[in-house]
Amino acid sequence: MTVHNLYLFDRNGVCLHYSEWHRKKQAGISKEEEYKLMKDGFLAFQTSRYKLHYYETPTGIKVVMNTDLGVGPIRDVLHHIYSALYVELVVKNPLCPLGQTVQSELFRSRLDSYIRSLPFFSARAG
Amino acid sequence: MADAVLFEFLHTEMVAELWAQDPDPDPGPGVSAGPGGGGGGGWGGQKMSLSVLEGMGFRVGQAMAERLPRETLAFREELDVLKFLCKDLWVAVFQKQMDSLRTNHQGTYVLQDNSFPLLIRMSSGLQYLEEAPKFLAFTCGILRGALSTLGIKSLVTASVAALPACKFQVVIQRC
Repeated sequence: MTVHNLYLFDRNGVCLHYSEWHRKKQAGISKEEEYKLMKDGFLAFQTSRYKLHYYETPTGIKVVMNTDLGVGPIRDVLHHIYSALYVELVVKNPLCPLGQTVQSELFRSRLDSYIRSLPFFSARAG
Repeated sequence: MADAVLFEFLHTEMVAELWAQDPDPDPGPGVSAGPGGGGGGGWGGQKMSLSVLEGMGFRVGQAMAERLPRETLAFREELDVLKFLCKDLWVAVFQKQMDSLRTNHQGTYVLQDNSFPLLIRMSSGLQYLEEAPKFLAFTCGILRGALSTLGIKSLVTASVAALPACKFQVVIQRC
């Protein structure tokens, strides 16, 4: 089980942050897609190769994480990324202007440590 | 009790507002960053902004020292006043105590905060080091103002070697 990559967008579609951990070299995405719509709204979809998890806040911040198929629902993880990392280290950082790509090294390293600490992240993609 | 984050946001805006009108990036005297300290050139706007912030902090510090409840009405000696700043005043403003207080017993005190709340969300190391002094000026004023209410005239400066730790140097001015 592993995490492939993570995107953070704001309400205008500006990409605030992107990190990747295990991005597989093969570019082909299978044509078969299963689109799952949960009753709370769109949460995730998966193809035969990867699963995309989605989390959106009322303020329009979108967290998009791509993992392999072994990972279950992770809404609380995405919420933590938003509230404990983005809000604490970017919104509350006087030197991070909102609406622009995040330059803060502290944010990048804390996010990286957090992802690596997750139970479904393994050092070798599998 | 108001949410502590309100003060942080307000402080952030104060700094941003003062610097929005000033394009000069060179810091003035009184605050320094990095091993060599701030540059000597570039007086004018930058120095003015730091003075304005320090002045605002001074008035806040004066009021805080008057308002904070004190167990003893009169401090026995100067060191007790500094300890009061490191404990009671710091807790009232930043919800934590100062991490260390040193003195040469001749009127100079160094107060060190290893995780200063106004810097802690910026970085952990050297990123943004040049900008850090702007976020210390107001707090220098708070210290100087509180000391003033307690009958002590001083000069307070701050320095940052690596975020989020910073040092405030208090030099007592004897007339």
